[in-house]
Amino acid sequence: MIPLVAVVSLRGRESRTLRLWVPLIVLWLVIVPLAVVFSPLIFVGCVACRINPVGAFSVGWQILRALNDTEVEIEHRSAGISICVF
Amino acid sequence: MNEHRRQILQMLSESKISADEAERLIAALEEPVAGSSSQNASDSGTKARPKYLRVQVDSEDDGHEGPTKVNVRVPMQLLRAGVKLAGLIPPQALHRANVAIHEKGILFDLSQIKPENLEELIDQLSDLSVDVDQKDHATKVKVKVFCE
Repeated sequence: MIPLVAVVSLRGRESRTLRLWVPLIVLWLVIVPLAVVFSPLIFVGCVACRINPVGAFSVGWQILRALNDTEVEIEHRSAGISICVF
Repeated sequence: MNEHRRQILQMLSESKISADEAERLIAALEEPVAGSSSQNASDSGTKARPKYLRVQVDSEDDGHEGPTKVNVRVPMQLLRAGVKLAGLIPPQALHRANVAIHEKGILFDLSQIKPENLEELIDQLSDLSVDVDQKDHATKVKVKVFCE
């Protein structure tokens, strides 16, 4: 399953936390038609760079699926950012 | 099994086979037993495969910078996909990346990462635990890399 939501938490120095729920599904809905339109160009680019286009698509899909449960947190002094992908 | 062994010993006593042949036959009989016992041992020794690679960095600075904390959780599946991605990189680009890595003083060859070795690599990572503690006059850095 590809990630559907990303939660971005921003914490300022005033200890206020801003939590943004980013619906990634909307992003995919925009990207998929674009990818289909540009697929011939992507195919030609892969062939020109001597990359197996099918392999590239397969790995890209696997990376997309594997992004689920990824978590990155960075805190500096009292400020911080956290990104969780579900 | 004992029946086969008895037959071999009987053939030996009847001088139908030599002592060396009897020994080889008995060894051949024992081989599958040893194989299955080692398989059982490996089955009992299997651990739950780790799902995530976690990197934690804790830095305390006495100066103006202040403390910094980094906590990254990467799913193992992403590592698998990353290794497969490395397998797609064209040889010329791989060579240039290797040169750049060597220039940084890291003796690592990206071309050695192959999808065939992927599962072995992931299995080895399950036992990985790296703890680095660095203390300077002003900073204290703690890095922890482990699988969970």
